Amino acid sequence: MKKKLTIMMFFIMLVGSLLAGCSSGNSDQASDNAGDGNSEGGVVQLTFWRNAGNDVENKVYEDLIKGFEEQNPNIKVKMTPIPFGDYETKLRTALAAGNPPDVMAIDSPNLAAYADAGAIKSIDEYMKSEGNVDDILEGTLSGMKYNDEIYLAPIVESGIAMFYNKNLFEEKGVPFPSEDPNNPWTWEQVLEAAKKLNDPANGVYGIDPAQGFGDGEGPAYFKMPILWQFGAEVLSQDGTTADGYLNSPEAIEALQFYQDLYEKHKVAAVELPPDPFATGKVAISMDGTWALAHLKNNFPDFKLGEDFGIAPLPKAKQKAAPNGGWALGIASKSEHPEEAWKLIQYITSYEGIKTYAEATGDIPARYSVAEDMPELNEYPKNIFVTQAQNYAENRPVTPAYPTVSKAMKELFEDIGISGRNVEAAAAEAVEKIDKEIKKTQN
Amino acid sequence: MELKKSITPKKNLSISNKFSMSYGKSEKLAGIAFVLPIAVLLIIFMFYPMIQAFIISFQDFNLISQKKTFIGFDNYINLFKDKEFIASLKHSFYFAMVVVPVQGIISLGLALLLQKKSRINSFFRTIYFIPVVISTAVAATVFELIYSKDFGLLNAILEALHLPTVNFLSNPDTAMNGVIILGIWKAAGFFMIIFLAGLNNIPADLYEAAHVDGAGKIRQFFSITLPLLKRTIAFVAIITTIDAIKLSALVYVLTGGGPSGSTETTVVYIFRTAFEQMSMGYASAAAFILFAIVLIISLIQMKLFKSDVEY
Repeated sequence: MKKKLTIMMFFIMLVGSLLAGCSSGNSDQASDNAGDGNSEGGVVQLTFWRNAGNDVENKVYEDLIKGFEEQNPNIKVKMTPIPFGDYETKLRTALAAGNPPDVMAIDSPNLAAYADAGAIKSIDEYMKSEGNVDDILEGTLSGMKYNDEIYLAPIVESGIAMFYNKNLFEEKGVPFPSEDPNNPWTWEQVLEAAKKLNDPANGVYGIDPAQGFGDGEGPAYFKMPILWQFGAEVLSQDGTTADGYLNSPEAIEALQFYQDLYEKHKVAAVELPPDPFATGKVAISMDGTWALAHLKNNFPDFKLGEDFGIAPLPKAKQKAAPNGGWALGIASKSEHPEEAWKLIQYITSYEGIKTYAEATGDIPARYSVAEDMPELNEYPKNIFVTQAQNYAENRPVTPAYPTVSKAMKELFEDIGISGRNVEAAAAEAVEKIDKEIKKTQN
Repeated sequence: MELKKSITPKKNLSISNKFSMSYGKSEKLAGIAFVLPIAVLLIIFMFYPMIQAFIISFQDFNLISQKKTFIGFDNYINLFKDKEFIASLKHSFYFAMVVVPVQGIISLGLALLLQKKSRINSFFRTIYFIPVVISTAVAATVFELIYSKDFGLLNAILEALHLPTVNFLSNPDTAMNGVIILGIWKAAGFFMIIFLAGLNNIPADLYEAAHVDGAGKIRQFFSITLPLLKRTIAFVAIITTIDAIKLSALVYVLTGGGPSGSTETTVVYIFRTAFEQMSMGYASAAAFILFAIVLIISLIQMKLFKSDVEY
């Protein structure tokens, strides 16, 4: 009897000490928070998570936070940049554990999934009263909304355009595309040029139509615009079905055109070396604003204007460009929503956005900032800005978006890599998406 | 004989009864004290999460929202109808069915070649063991470059030999084989060491006796080495099967499950479903199906390899 008792005691003590170890950590933290928040001089500690960018982005964020803390001595911001690849997983785990940061960066197409789950707080009232909403690009703002309420505040807009290798164009006697953002080449013109430029024997491919076959959100971001340009949509306006949209005649036409680039005309390659555009392996490539900085830093001999040019995205039936990007939101569980909003307001104000956009060269999400940055009205930035202001479309807003994104990636791989029948692949994508939409509606 | 056996224990008992009850007690206590820390850790970090996951697998559980609804066996039923899940199982099994025998034969072959102790052999043992030590991410990244169609080492060699080039990783039909080659290259060295240990355990006099009886090297291998290696082979077979079916990190870095989903193994599928699609319940159910499959296969293998040879 006694023996059993001793063992039991020992066991209980051990488990007890282990649990105490865990919980004391928590209570320390909690009391820290509470202390910071209320009593000790009223200093509030905010946690802020974002996806780590390049050096320039990280530096400007640090400067912004420093400026904010100087202006608000009673708020301290603990910013945690997290590598891009791990970011969503980490954020979701933190949300699941009920221990999210106060302020977090969210990729706008995922907004609906987060908002629907009740993970982030509506900032509609704050934005409408203090956020100067009318100044924000219209297309961008609609991407910040779920069920007609604003959940996120944008900083900069993303944009892509058609990069072309001038040397290769001259070599093959192909005329340069128009640089007027309102008057892009048609896809037919692009195809004609790609056929002439294509030279696989020498390792040169005509075109990389949508950044090859990547992972994550990239495929949806680069490939949906092709559907839009051909007059198709991915989902219905109310986001309840993909049937009749992703498998519409327009969508099939777009997908067939895309497949033909790989299968029929063979002007695009499934596998490309790293940096194929800068090394002259690809003559035409759709790429983003960020590529300008990348090319400048890593390929100083490959000069904009001399070696390569930038033209607006091709059109088919209409002009269309993708938009959306990382924007800031507040966790529903945040204990300091007022302070969190102050931080967001500071970063997404005219000055905040101007500081950010001037450092990184991105397109500001506010009209007023764009007007005051002269280089945005000149080539090549004017192409991205005009597209973002006039032709940008949002990726569909639905809590089922993670599935939509995955289905898009798989659809384009199916037709581009595996050479599947376009209609069958589209039908399968529609089925996958609609199944998930039904699930989220319950 | 019979008599002796029955007497000895009794004698022991009678002595210890009076004398060392407390000794036995403290001995037992010490034993428990040794086991306890790891047992507690296992309970907290393994069994408790497993039970939780099992419960979650019966729920419609979105990762970031706090609502959970009990849906019985729906997750399991839907999984069996899910083409992607079935495909991921097929990919995992294809990998396992190729890797287990091929890797087993290669590592056994290496072990036989390097069995004799000599300087050159220990040098080569080290060489063959190096891939095991290299981190998975590094190996996968380097192999990605080697496999690359336009500038990879593999195709450069093929071209120099005037053979047709292959785009290993971007062709859905061949991508899995690219993963398999890397997998074998990476793990063969480890199992070579296990086989070496097994080979060294076989008494040398058996070989001498066989030699005296006039058995050649090949006969010796099939009549002595293989039967006496049965336990080692069982160990290697079971561990490689489990490892192969659990394959994830290599695929994640090398191909990300592509092209066109052709290398998405079950564990990659589970990870994606849980953290990218945020369907925790569905992913947990998939994990338990995989667990059941691995368990059944391991049990069958243990039965098959049950060794009746003693030495």
